[in-house]
Amino acid sequence: MDVETGTARADLVEDAELQAHPLPDRAAARVPAAVSFLAGIERWSVVAYDGVAPIVNAYVAAAIRRRDARGVLHTTSERSRAFAIAPLDRMHANLRQRLEQAAPDLEHMAGDLVESPVRYLEQVESTVRRIRAAIERDLAESWITAMRADEWLVVDGLLSRSPAVARHPRALGVIKSHGAQFLEGRGLERALTLQAGNRTSVFAVRGGHTRTEVYSWYVRLWPWEGNDLLYGLLRVEARADANTVGRATELSGWLWAERAPLATPATRWDRLLYPLHNVEEYLKALAPREPQLRRVSRLPKTGT
Amino acid sequence: MIARSDQELAPIGRVVATELKPSTPHQFHFWTATETTIGIGAIVRVGAGSSEQGAERLVYGVVTDGFAYSDLATPLHDVVGAEGDPTRAAGTPTTRQEIRYWTAAVLRQTPEEPLQPVPLGQVYVAADADVALALRMDAFLYSATPTAIPVGLYTSAGRDAPVYLDADFLLGPEAAHLNISGVSGLATKTSAVEFLLGSIFAHFPSHKGRIAAVCFNVKGPDLCFLDQPGDLSDEDRHRYQRLGVPAAPFERVRYFAPLKADGVNLNTLRTHADLIGTVEPLTWGLQEVVDYAEVLLNRDDIDAKADAFIDFLRDRVLGRTFDDGFGGTHRVQTFADLDHLFRSIFDGLEITSGGRSDTWRTHHIATMRKVRNRLLNISTRCKGLVTDDGPSSDLPWNEFADRTVYVVDIANVDPLGQDLVFARVVSKLREQLERRELGVDAIVVFVDELNKYAPGDGSETYVKKMLLDISERGRYLGLVLFGAEQFRSQVHRRVVGNAGTQLFGRMDMDELATPGYQVLSPATKSKLATLPIGELMVRHPHFTQPIFVRFPKPPVLRGRDGVERFPPAADVPFEDAVVRQLVQLDRRVRPNQVKDLIADREPEDVRRALAAVRRTRPDDVIAYFRKALGSRVTSEARVPREHQAVPPLNAISDEPY
Repeated sequence: MDVETGTARADLVEDAELQAHPLPDRAAARVPAAVSFLAGIERWSVVAYDGVAPIVNAYVAAAIRRRDARGVLHTTSERSRAFAIAPLDRMHANLRQRLEQAAPDLEHMAGDLVESPVRYLEQVESTVRRIRAAIERDLAESWITAMRADEWLVVDGLLSRSPAVARHPRALGVIKSHGAQFLEGRGLERALTLQAGNRTSVFAVRGGHTRTEVYSWYVRLWPWEGNDLLYGLLRVEARADANTVGRATELSGWLWAERAPLATPATRWDRLLYPLHNVEEYLKALAPREPQLRRVSRLPKTGT
Repeated sequence: MIARSDQELAPIGRVVATELKPSTPHQFHFWTATETTIGIGAIVRVGAGSSEQGAERLVYGVVTDGFAYSDLATPLHDVVGAEGDPTRAAGTPTTRQEIRYWTAAVLRQTPEEPLQPVPLGQVYVAADADVALALRMDAFLYSATPTAIPVGLYTSAGRDAPVYLDADFLLGPEAAHLNISGVSGLATKTSAVEFLLGSIFAHFPSHKGRIAAVCFNVKGPDLCFLDQPGDLSDEDRHRYQRLGVPAAPFERVRYFAPLKADGVNLNTLRTHADLIGTVEPLTWGLQEVVDYAEVLLNRDDIDAKADAFIDFLRDRVLGRTFDDGFGGTHRVQTFADLDHLFRSIFDGLEITSGGRSDTWRTHHIATMRKVRNRLLNISTRCKGLVTDDGPSSDLPWNEFADRTVYVVDIANVDPLGQDLVFARVVSKLREQLERRELGVDAIVVFVDELNKYAPGDGSETYVKKMLLDISERGRYLGLVLFGAEQFRSQVHRRVVGNAGTQLFGRMDMDELATPGYQVLSPATKSKLATLPIGELMVRHPHFTQPIFVRFPKPPVLRGRDGVERFPPAADVPFEDAVVRQLVQLDRRVRPNQVKDLIADREPEDVRRALAAVRRTRPDDVIAYFRKALGSRVTSEARVPREHQAVPPLNAISDEPY
C-alpha cells in the first residue's frame, strides 16, 4: 500500500547535494539468501442500496511469502478480512437489522456524505485502504519478531507506517507511486532523470503522514527515455541508520537484480518487483469472486 | 498377487475443470506440485473429499499428457527481463510461478452407472489394489477360477504393481493372439515374448488344460538357448518375485533344425558339443512338400491348371504304382522318383508324337514343366530340409507336451524353405488341434518378422492367407498367434487387428506418424519413441487405455550371449556327423564301430541308412544301421494314404467375417 500524496520534508544524509550513484552490474548483486515479501490486496463493490445509501462489500488481504534457495516463493503468513461498509445511521431499521445479521463484520461509515455519492465512494475507498494498511502493518510487525537472524523483509509500500518495522535493520519498503514529493529543484531533476542502474543519494524522510523517520532514496530499474519520468522509478525506504547509507548501493543493486523476471502482465510492471507481484497474485487467487473492483455486467462471462 | 493396502496416501494433485477444459466422463485434468513423481502413463485415483460433491464416486485414470507453463505472458517478456542474455534469465532471484498440469484418460469409474463427468477432487497415486480395479483385473484376478497372467509391473512414484492379462483374452477363446511391435536391436520383442511364455507356463490355469509353444527362430541365435540360464540382476529377481514367475529358464525345450546340404550336419547355431545332442533334425520328404505345394508357387504360378496338375500328382501318382502311358511304371516316393517320372513323360511325348503333342492326360506340357521346376527346385534350394527319403524326422504331432517350448530353427534356411516350414508346421498344428490330437489344448505360435510373412501390401501368399486364417479363426481351436514385427503398419491390418493383446516397445517416430497410432496422445507417442529396454506399452481388451509396464529380463541366455558361451562348432566330417547322430539316438553306439561300418560306403547310402534309423528309431541302433547299410536301403514303403491336404483357405478379402 504505497499511495502517498503531498509534499514531505527530506534532508540529505549522503552527499552535499543529491547525486546519482551507479549500481554494480546486476550479475554482481548481493541478493540475500533469505528474503520474505509482503504485499496486500483490496477489493470492494457496492452490492445494495438503502435508498441512496450504498452498502459496500469489501475484502482485504495480505500475505508474506518467503523465497527458498531455488527462488520459489512459499506463503508463510497471511491475513484477510471480509467486511461490509454501510452508513448505519442513515439506514432503515429493518434493513440495518438484516445487514447486521448477514454481515457480522461491519464498518460503520458516517452518513453525512451519502447525499454525495462520489465523495461517499471516495471515503469508502479510503476506508478500505486504511484497513488494508492496518492488516499489512500488523502482519509485518508480527513477522519481524519471527524472522530468522539473516532474513530480510521487503514490504510493498511505505515502511514508515509502522515504527517497529521502520526500525528493523533488515526491512525495506518499496514504493511504486510517487504522489509525495520529497525533493525540489536540482535534486528533483536529478532524481527524475536518473539513469537505469543508478540510485540517488540517501535522504531522510520525516513529517507529513509519516510516523517514523526513515532513510530513503530512488532507484531506476528501467530506462525512462521514451516513457515518462517515473517509468521504472522506485523509492526505497530503510531504517534511519548510518549503516543504511553505507549499504544503499548494495541494497539498490539487490533490488535492481529483482527487476527480472518481469512482473507482467501487471500494468506497473516497470516498478513492481516480481516477488511482490507473486504475492498479489497469490492473494487474488484466494480472494472471493465478489466483490469486484470494477463494475461488470451481470451477464455470465464465458470463456469462449 | 496384488497386495491389498488400506494405507491412505497423501494426495498428489487436484482435479480442475474450466469451461474451456472441462472434465468429461472419459477425461479429466489435474495439477500437481512442480516436483512430482508421476509422469505420462501413471495411473491415478480421484476421490472427492467427504464433504465434496461426488464423494461416493471413485475414478481411475491414466495420465496421457502433461503441460508445464509459468505466469509469463509472452516469451518476449523473458527476453526483456534478461536483456537478451539467456545466462541472465537463468540467474533471476525468483523463480516464476509454474504449474504442472496433467490430462488423464479415465480407466474406470465406480459406480459405473450412471456414467458422469469426473468430479473435482483429490488425486492420489494408485496403489496395487487401485491398479487392479483401474484395469478391471479384479474380474479375472479374484474370481473363483482366476485366469490372470502377469505381463509386467506397472511402476510409478517409486511403487510397482503387477499387471495381469486375462488368459481367456490372451490365449482364447475370447479375442486371443498377441502382437508386439518395436524397433529392432533393443532386446524387447523377443525378450518380452520369452518372459511372457514363462509367465504363461507358470500361471496358465489348470482348468484351461495344457499348453505348449512353438517358436520359429528366423534370425541368428535368438531362440537357441531357451533352456540355458541367463544373468539376472537383483532388480530383475525382485520383479520375478513380485510377479510370481520363476526366474529360471524353460524346463522343457525341444529344438528342431534342418540338416545342412551334406545331409548330416545340423543347420543351426546350437551346435556346441554340450548342446548339439538336444537338437533334433527336421527333414521332410516329397509328400510333405507336395501337400504344401501352394507355398512354393508365386502369384503368377497360381492358376487352375497348376492346381489341377498338383492335385493329380497328389491323388493319382504319389505313393502309388502308376503307369505313365508310355510303357513305364512308376512308384513315386522321392524327388528322384518324381524327376524320373517327369523325364519319362517328356521323353514319351517327344518320341510318340514327334514333339507335336503338348498335352499329357489333359495337362499341358508347360504346366507340367512349371510344376516340375517348382517342386524339384525346393529339393535343391532346401537340401537338408527336404530329402529324397521321406520324413525321417518331424515334430511330435501327436504328443506335444504340456508347458514345453518347441523351437524350430529355420534361421539359415532359404526364404522359400522358411515359408514351407512355417506353412506346414502351422497347418499341421491346426489339423491336430481340430482333431484334438496334438496333446495339448492350446498352442502358442511365435512368429517374428511378421511383416515379412503377412505384409500389409504385396502379393497374396499362402503363408499370408494362413496367418489371416489363424488370426481370425485360430482362437476357437486354441491356436494362438504371438506375432512380432518392427513396423506394425507394414503388417496386414487384419492380422494385427485381430490380436486382442498388443504390446509396443520403443517405436520409430516415422512409424508413430502412421494412422494406426493416431489414437495415442503426442505425449504417449513421445514416450513410446524413447521407451527404455524392458518397458512396454500394453493394450488389452480389459484395459480401456494403453498401460506402460516393465518386465524383467528373460531368465534365459540371450542369443548373442549364448553363441559366446556356447560357440557353434564347425561342421564335423561326414563320418563324425553320422556318429554324432547315431550316438544321439543310442548312447551305446561306439564311434569307431560306426566309422568302420561306413568306410568305403557311398555317402548317399549312408544318408539313407541314417534316415532309416531316424525314421524307425530301433532299440538296437547300430544293428539296424548295419542292416540298413547291408543292401541298398529302399525308401519307406508306405501304404498309399488318403490325401490329407489342408483344407483350402479362403481368399483374402476385405470382409473380416
